Amino acid sequence: MSQNQLDNQSSIDKADLEKLSKEAEQEAAPSSLRIVWNEFKADKVALTAAVIIVVFILFVMIASLFINQSQAMSTNIMDSYDKPFSQFILGTDQGGRSVAKELIMGSKNSIGIAIGLTVISSTFGIVFGLVSGYFGGIVDNIMMRFYDFMMMLPILLFIIVVVTIIPSYNAITLTLILSVFYWLGTARLIRARTMSESKKDYVSASKTSGTSTFKIIFREIMPNISSLIIVDTMLSFAENIGVETTLSFLGFGLPNGTPSLGTMISNANDPNNITQYWWTWLIAAIEIIILTISISYVGQVIRRASDASQRLSDD
Amino acid sequence: MSLIEVKDLEVHYPIRSGFWNRVTDEVLAVDGLSLNIEAGETYGLVGESGSGKSTTGKSIVGLEKPTRGQILYKGKDITKPRNRRELDYNQDVQMIFQDSLSSLNPRKRIEDIIAEPIRNFEHLDKNQEKLRVLQLLDIVGLDADALYKYPHQFSGGQRQRIGVARAVATNPKLIVADEPVSALDLSVQAQVLNFMKRIQRDFGISYLFISHDLGVVRHMCDNIAIMHRGRLVEIGTRDDIYNHPMHIYTKRLLSAIPETSVEGRAEARAHREAVEREFQENQSRYYDKDGKVLPLVDVTDTHKVALPADEIDKEDK
Repeated sequence: MSQNQLDNQSSIDKADLEKLSKEAEQEAAPSSLRIVWNEFKADKVALTAAVIIVVFILFVMIASLFINQSQAMSTNIMDSYDKPFSQFILGTDQGGRSVAKELIMGSKNSIGIAIGLTVISSTFGIVFGLVSGYFGGIVDNIMMRFYDFMMMLPILLFIIVVVTIIPSYNAITLTLILSVFYWLGTARLIRARTMSESKKDYVSASKTSGTSTFKIIFREIMPNISSLIIVDTMLSFAENIGVETTLSFLGFGLPNGTPSLGTMISNANDPNNITQYWWTWLIAAIEIIILTISISYVGQVIRRASDASQRLSDD
Repeated sequence: MSLIEVKDLEVHYPIRSGFWNRVTDEVLAVDGLSLNIEAGETYGLVGESGSGKSTTGKSIVGLEKPTRGQILYKGKDITKPRNRRELDYNQDVQMIFQDSLSSLNPRKRIEDIIAEPIRNFEHLDKNQEKLRVLQLLDIVGLDADALYKYPHQFSGGQRQRIGVARAVATNPKLIVADEPVSALDLSVQAQVLNFMKRIQRDFGISYLFISHDLGVVRHMCDNIAIMHRGRLVEIGTRDDIYNHPMHIYTKRLLSAIPETSVEGRAEARAHREAVEREFQENQSRYYDKDGKVLPLVDVTDTHKVALPADEIDKEDK
């Protein structure tokens, strides 16, 4: 019935549909991917950073396929502490292992753990924060007491204990153990924004439009806090590279014989290494610095793209 | 039978304070309010800020949970969420918000915004849905190229018209318009109001028109209810309220309508002051000892006023 009424009142009918939607497409606002790309073009440093990240990750993932881990990690006293650019391109460590090969495999392990950890912990943190912030009241209260309990645990010590009592652990179990603790910051951040967002009128409008609660949370509110989510995820990715590195540095990271950026940096524990054999630890440290700075540049661009007032590009 | 019957609606908010954060007091946002909205009419709800008119409107659409009282639609109490779901209540009762910008999701295109209620209540295929959206845009006077734009690309008046288009999308029977034009400038106000009137004429929609602007209400409404401190002080037709106001608060509110005439300035000022004096002097008689508005009394068939007992006697003679 209402369709007939509308047909009577409006001069538009089916015949016009195609023509009008074409017209509308010409006037359409640029898509968000287009905006991100424009923003990258306007900021050359960030573009360089993005290229570095992508090329580096691809290189590490592909190159590590061609390296035999047990062979590369076997000790060879004769080549101990070879200087860079002599026999080995980046020199060797105390055990005569090639630093270049160790670096590639170590980066693959560290980045893999960081990506896995970021995906799991951010997803959980975002969902936790959204649900807790949207519903408020008793739901929020219970969820936040659980949060406070998790917050109270001394995370690093807890992880060290868990790692030592688990009989056999590898990269995957380590990622899972870390994920249990590293969603906390994300959850609180997302909750705070969700609380202010869910009081806005467009949420009320969605409720009166008959949209389900699930859809309101994930289709209405979540896109509106996406800039926060992206920046937080980027930063926690950079931070998560550090988490694995810290644990390995302390000797509780990946099991022995598995190279990682953290085990390489822990070479600096030895006074001889830190004074004479800099290539055993410095290259890994520089790699982490470059990676984290690059990631934060890319994060900034995406944040700017999602907020029209901060954009550098013209359109 | 009326379209919507509100019976003794009460919305109270707890005030928490003290060391244990206990409920120590209540804000009586709406405190015993009854009104009937007929099909096809525009019902004006007027009052100062904080008088509970928006809370009443939100309770009627189902955004606010009433503490007590009933809202009957098709004989069912829609203050219960279960009844609302059963009736597909929000297909028939929609809302227009005051702030046009924040009521449109900034991350969605206009097509998706207007189509949202259609997608939830009716199942149309893609082309039918797009056609419907285009027709709705046409009815509120917007071009088809608005379809793929975002809300921030429009002016305030255009945004409010998009809000109207969304509210009309499911062909509702009642639209609660919560101060729909108070954020717009005067020329745009007239434009949006005329669109609303035209839509009402064409589709036979009822409005609950919430406003503090008596000039706008006079332009729009057939029946008017004046609200003060969470209760109604006077209900009547447009003629009853504007030409025969009986409650001192109504008189005071009417005297506050601005007039643009330089010659009449002193006169208008004297009138305002006289009305204000009457209000201050008689306040204790028209409100009970807690400052609450008295119960409504029938004066004529259409006109109900919250009068004190002695005034009623005077009326009878």
